Amino acid sequence: MDASSCARDAAHLAGRVLGALRGGSDADLADFLDSCADPAAGLGAVRLVGADVFLPHLVLNRPLDARDVDVVVASFEFLSSVTAPVTTEQRVLAWHDWSTARLLAGLTGDVPAATPEDPTAVLGPAEDWQRWSVAVAQLSSLAHPGATGPVVDVVAAQPLALCRGVVRTVLRRDFATASRLTRWLCLLHAAGVRLPVDPVLLLGHIEPRVGAEPRRLLDLAVARHLVGAA
Amino acid sequence: MSTVVRTAHEVTASALGWLHAHRELGAFEDDATADLGDNDSVYKPLCELALASSLVLREGVAGSAELRAARELLEFSWRQLRAGDLLYERQLRHGLVTDPLETYVHHARGGLRHEALEQLFEQTSAADSITEVLPNRRLAVANAHRVAGLRRDDDFQGMLRQTWLGRTPQPWALDWYTAYYMTHAVFHVTDWGAMPGELPPDVVGYLENWLPAWFEVWAEAGQWDLVGELLIVGACLPEPWCEPARWELFAGVQHGDGLVPRDAEPVDDDPWRRYHDHQHTTVVATIAGTLTTSRLLGGGT
Repeated sequence: MDASSCARDAAHLAGRVLGALRGGSDADLADFLDSCADPAAGLGAVRLVGADVFLPHLVLNRPLDARDVDVVVASFEFLSSVTAPVTTEQRVLAWHDWSTARLLAGLTGDVPAATPEDPTAVLGPAEDWQRWSVAVAQLSSLAHPGATGPVVDVVAAQPLALCRGVVRTVLRRDFATASRLTRWLCLLHAAGVRLPVDPVLLLGHIEPRVGAEPRRLLDLAVARHLVGAA
Repeated sequence: MSTVVRTAHEVTASALGWLHAHRELGAFEDDATADLGDNDSVYKPLCELALASSLVLREGVAGSAELRAARELLEFSWRQLRAGDLLYERQLRHGLVTDPLETYVHHARGGLRHEALEQLFEQTSAADSITEVLPNRRLAVANAHRVAGLRRDDDFQGMLRQTWLGRTPQPWALDWYTAYYMTHAVFHVTDWGAMPGELPPDVVGYLENWLPAWFEVWAEAGQWDLVGELLIVGACLPEPWCEPARWELFAGVQHGDGLVPRDAEPVDDDPWRRYHDHQHTTVVATIAGTLTTSRLLGGGT
């Protein structure tokens, strides 16, 4: 599987999900996979976009097509989950996959996925908020409407560390990371967590600066939905 | 002695030693007149030198060699200003400027006074003969009046609310210039850490939340001058913010001879260029180290 093809397909898939969230046609995972020149890269892209493929169902209550379920299941069969993560990258992937599998189980009524190890193993101590917030950003797909779980609990308990992280990324003009952290921030806001920054103003600052990368636009679309629902 | 006290003390001693050793590079080349063709070349650095020296003397937490160096630096700048006569002539010639007062108070704080100049300040103050300035600069003038003992009805809290900091904006709404404005609002409302209680609680909370984030951003960019000013702000808070790792980082950029570079660019070998490029940051380091040491030892309460 070619990594650049996979990343390109992931951007394409995120664009389809974004289009669905904006009121367009369904993301249609099966149709997406058919459109990929390399099916392996397409399945890799589904894993990369992860739980976000379910956003139209979570946000707009669109029905989940059985063919979409088959595609997600096939993506897990094609690339098995990391069961004993060692590196930080593997730990991030394990939580990312857990979120996808958990949402799939929730939507299909299947048995929920096993929860990975203690989230602090991947996030580190919140006192080291610079590194902690970067790890939180990497797990932005876990911050979806209605999200719960160990990572959400840990992040929700550290609003200042999260806000310091987002302020740092904005001042560094790293709007890609800022968009991922803003998604978390808006999740906390929607859950009623008191924050030392205004999430609506933050969102308004980042939206015109983030560029056109579909996965980041997806982060901001989720964030916008969350503040709208708060 | 805590790690930070030791680090801050050593940064101050080294920085002050460098300023003292190279002070002649900061002298006027010719007889300066009240018009001062270029305020920033010698006059402003002299004012900053006097400020740092006066704070070392005010806090009294340095060693005997540093206290002697600070006294000599203050006397050096006073001589350069012709024992205040230059300031007097400048205030007479340019009635609305505030730099003579702002320069004078550092010397007055150290016991170097000029009676005629103080009478002139009283007259200009009574007439509100003060040019219009940015809100953080207005606080600087108010603090100079306060330190000089000139009675006015200045409303420090109201003035603070006119500054960027006083509005406690969203913390990303900050750039390099505005960060300096923010630091100076803190310096002047607290008189350089002497009155931390002058900062209202919401502003204290705001600074406690965001100083660490701002520090990281400008430390990563190697903006050591601004980083040093942020450390001063930390020392001006009711509960000083002075984390050991931050102080170690700042101390780590100081050169062996005491110079603290203004940024991450290479430092020139030419002595004159070295002095004029990095004198301000070395002054900032002296103040940051002095106030941090003093606050951790119980000063400014």
